[in-house]
Amino acid sequence: MKNFEKLISNNIQNKKRRRIILIGAIVAFILSVLMIAPSKMVLAKMLPSKDNDTFNIYVTLANGSSIEQTNQVTNCVVNEIIKEKNLIDTEVFLGMGAPLDFAGLIKGSHFKNSENLAEIVLNIAPKHKRDEPSYIMVQRLRSVIQSNCEKLYPNTNISFVEPPAGPPVLAAIVAEVYGNNADGIRVLAKKIETVFKNTDGLVDIDIMQDEIYDTYEIIVNSDKVSRSGVNIKQLNDVLYLAFEGMQIAVKNSDLYNDQLPIYLSLSKESKKFTSKDISSIKIKLSSLKLMNQMGMMTPITELVTIVPKKSNPLIMNKNLHQMTNVMAETDMVSQVYPLMEARNVILDTFKDSYEIEKIGMFNLQLSDKKTGEIYKIIWDGEMEVTLDTFVELGVAFIAALILIFLLMVIYYKSYTLSGIILLSSFLSIIGVIVGHWIMNIFTADTFFLTATSLIGFIALIGISSRNSLLLIDFTKSLIRDKGMSKADAIAYSAATRAKPIFLTAAAIILASTLLAGDAVFGGLGVSLIFGTIAAVISSLVIVPVLLFQADLEKHFNN
Amino acid sequence: MIKKNNYQPSDYAGKLAKGFLRNPLTVVLGVFLLAIGYLALEIMPREENPQMIVSGSTVIVALPGASAKEVQRVIVEPLERKLKEVKGVEHIYGTAMDNVGIVNAAFFIGEIKEDSNLKIYDKIMQNSDIFPHGAMDPIIKPLDIDVDIPIISVAFFSNGDNLSKTELYNSVKKIQHHINGLDNVAVTEIKGGNKTQFNIEVDLNKLSGYNLSMGQIVQAVQALSYSVPAVKNRTKDNQIIMFGVKNAIESSKDIANIIVAQYMGSPIYLKQVAKVEKSYDIQNFKSASISVRDANGKFTPLRDQVTLTVSKLQGTNAVVIANAVKNELETYRKLLNKNGINYVITRNDGQRANEAVNELVYHLVLSIVIIAILLAIVLGWRESLIVTFTVPAILAITLGVAYLTDQTINRITLFAFLLSLGLLVDAAIIVIENIHRHYYSAQNDGESIDDLMIRATDEIGPPTNIATLAIIMTMIPMAFVGQMMGQFMKPIPANVPVSLIASLFVAYIFTPYLAVRMLKKPKSHNDGSK
Repeated sequence: MKNFEKLISNNIQNKKRRRIILIGAIVAFILSVLMIAPSKMVLAKMLPSKDNDTFNIYVTLANGSSIEQTNQVTNCVVNEIIKEKNLIDTEVFLGMGAPLDFAGLIKGSHFKNSENLAEIVLNIAPKHKRDEPSYIMVQRLRSVIQSNCEKLYPNTNISFVEPPAGPPVLAAIVAEVYGNNADGIRVLAKKIETVFKNTDGLVDIDIMQDEIYDTYEIIVNSDKVSRSGVNIKQLNDVLYLAFEGMQIAVKNSDLYNDQLPIYLSLSKESKKFTSKDISSIKIKLSSLKLMNQMGMMTPITELVTIVPKKSNPLIMNKNLHQMTNVMAETDMVSQVYPLMEARNVILDTFKDSYEIEKIGMFNLQLSDKKTGEIYKIIWDGEMEVTLDTFVELGVAFIAALILIFLLMVIYYKSYTLSGIILLSSFLSIIGVIVGHWIMNIFTADTFFLTATSLIGFIALIGISSRNSLLLIDFTKSLIRDKGMSKADAIAYSAATRAKPIFLTAAAIILASTLLAGDAVFGGLGVSLIFGTIAAVISSLVIVPVLLFQADLEKHFNN
Repeated sequence: MIKKNNYQPSDYAGKLAKGFLRNPLTVVLGVFLLAIGYLALEIMPREENPQMIVSGSTVIVALPGASAKEVQRVIVEPLERKLKEVKGVEHIYGTAMDNVGIVNAAFFIGEIKEDSNLKIYDKIMQNSDIFPHGAMDPIIKPLDIDVDIPIISVAFFSNGDNLSKTELYNSVKKIQHHINGLDNVAVTEIKGGNKTQFNIEVDLNKLSGYNLSMGQIVQAVQALSYSVPAVKNRTKDNQIIMFGVKNAIESSKDIANIIVAQYMGSPIYLKQVAKVEKSYDIQNFKSASISVRDANGKFTPLRDQVTLTVSKLQGTNAVVIANAVKNELETYRKLLNKNGINYVITRNDGQRANEAVNELVYHLVLSIVIIAILLAIVLGWRESLIVTFTVPAILAITLGVAYLTDQTINRITLFAFLLSLGLLVDAAIIVIENIHRHYYSAQNDGESIDDLMIRATDEIGPPTNIATLAIIMTMIPMAFVGQMMGQFMKPIPANVPVSLIASLFVAYIFTPYLAVRMLKKPKSHNDGSK
């Protein structure tokens, strides 16, 4: 204790040492800030991956694919996953979504109702009973399954969906392509997809739009229809009955929970076309006949002509503007950096055919050089949520600083003392950033600076301002009540208050060690642990120096 | 023990210490607080993630025969414009495809669910005239996170292959009704499986061979599948006689024997042109299957399964409901096994929430023990014990307040507790440290113990109050963070300030109270401030 008191006393009374301490603090602060922005030694992400006991695989084939084709792909996937030793069970939901979860709610899993869709649920061993975190397992399975099973049919998309650590989002990166021309949007979306595919760290890339495929249209010759004494409704009904089938009547039953429908259609064998062309459709239709009121039969083929056409893709709008989403997930990296990289590539390579203008923070406006049509690329998904969250937490941080400053001004009635407290607590940011950097070195996967780190940092300002406050208060009472000299009082109070400051810091550090182990709240724990260390150093070393330089007598006598 | 109190405290800290130091009710208060906390921990609903207020509605309008572009123009665009008028809507997503238009209105996070649903419903009903001729009635589906996301899913599957496709579905359907009757169960749904139906599969070659049309078959079947209520009549003696017409169709045989047409004077039966059987819904392309490990640890091939999902009402305890469902299923296990049906629980959020909560409670206790050991080394075991007692008391108050404000115990609440744990021992540590310092300091020889306690507490009061207030100040802006993240993190600004305020009161009331009774005045007064 006495040694510590002497050290502080020497520090504050020696002009050279004072300067070293202050300059050292400023240099440390600048260096730690540099670790985030240009050097990327500490990476930012909204929330890190979480170790889950379950995750889903979404299988999407090209529109117009049959359930049998989808089944073939899911079988391929299941064959791969049952090799996993940590798998407990797996379920396949063909043509629909799996039981809804948080992620599925945002991704529209509950609206899935089509033959080209399937979802696979994997339940794996509880996290204490396996060595491999689920996100590493996903990363490993992803490359195997995608390379083996996506090639079965063109345009097949297999994506991995993990329960989100925090609030769910549509995808890590979403590029919304807005425009007035559907074909133009389609072209642009395809180009962005290519950019994403060539960007490191982006996986599960998908355009949220229907593929255009071949269909046939039956054109009715109304003249012939009226002359044969039949009508178009009849024609439609018969076609629908024959190939889709229809429930034509019900039978009530007390044995079953539902009414029993009576369902009519052509038998499976007789309704299959021999091949996908007009002539085989014609052959089938020639066997189907319509009967008019006179009981005369007319084959359908005599009333219609069949022409090929393209399918109508669905049209999507957001906030009344037509758009398409290009989505990508990140492979164990923060979405911020791949997004910036992709954006730079877009800026470089798209300028051949578009005039590019930057709008907002990262968004782009493109105008086609040939047609002059205007398109917009707006970033959404986790990126937008991250930006919003970081901005809002940043505002909360500044608001907290102002509130504390005002509180101190009310208590001490001195701007200088309040400023010293604020400054010393602000310096704890050094500990937060360096702490993340150290953790990043010691953990296998990237340790991100997350939203919870920021929350920890905000809480930290309060904690470290308390240390300085106790110190200043004690100094004040020593000078006022005991009449000690400024230097002695500061040194004595720093030495006396060191014990409770160390104790409370130790309590915070120990309580936070358990937080640091959690995936989501690791950032908060690390912020608190390293930030508290920095706060202790700052309040015991830097605050005395600042106090000594201030005109204490004047401030205390207010 | 009675000594005169001649120290007059100037701060609330000292006043509280003085008021409770010799009060017999202090111990009652302590026990009462602990009891409230324990009760809250047991009663409060447990969840894995905090509840988020997310509202939105999807409006679906069908216009049969219209192409995607037509739907876009006559349904989606007018509907989007109307929904844009609703206050509180953040985003509107419209989708137009052949035959159907879907518009989804997503409200700002935090907008009240019931109000939002009503606004959308109201808007659609007021403007039902904007829909084009031929459009079907709009279907409005509100989003309900609690009811939409099941907390439990159970997969039923057959042990062997001897079960028909519909038997599994029908067995599960029976169980569904019983599960739905359990307390606080909101929605039960069945995924996968096949319903029973009569199938008439017409052979196209025979159809054209007999020169028949599909329309004739429809007419013939519909003519016989008509059921009427019983007819009531009276006899001359005013007795009632009732008679009903028996349904013509009872089995697939009855359908097969329907006469479809006459050909050259002889009847053509349906069975001559079509295969009629009672089986499953062949038009349903959806299916669910499961693969589990068999006795040897190998995976079985994918088997047909039926999944029953159960969701809970808002604000109810997922753990309790999950256990109730599990027990209910257990009563059917024997019966199911007899029919060759087995089941596995493929999702149990109740169990997951319970495990997460228990793990964090364990961490909390572990942290308290570690801090207690640290204090015992630095301050001595009596002082350490005093501080350690204050922790459960503070947590108990916080839990009690959380219960009263309708919060649930979830991961984030417990993280808020872990975060505040580091902060809430501070007030007690500062008080006990000051008491300790004065206690062993030679200067205070002549003062009574009570006075010393009160003075030590009082002295440290103002800076501790301000310091705690400073930490609370940092939490206030966090409460105003919006978006999903703000909602998700809400338990932190909601609970940390409460626990900090509680920590002040507990430190001022219980620390001197316990210190007077537990600390032993050292014999030697020359100890100094060690």
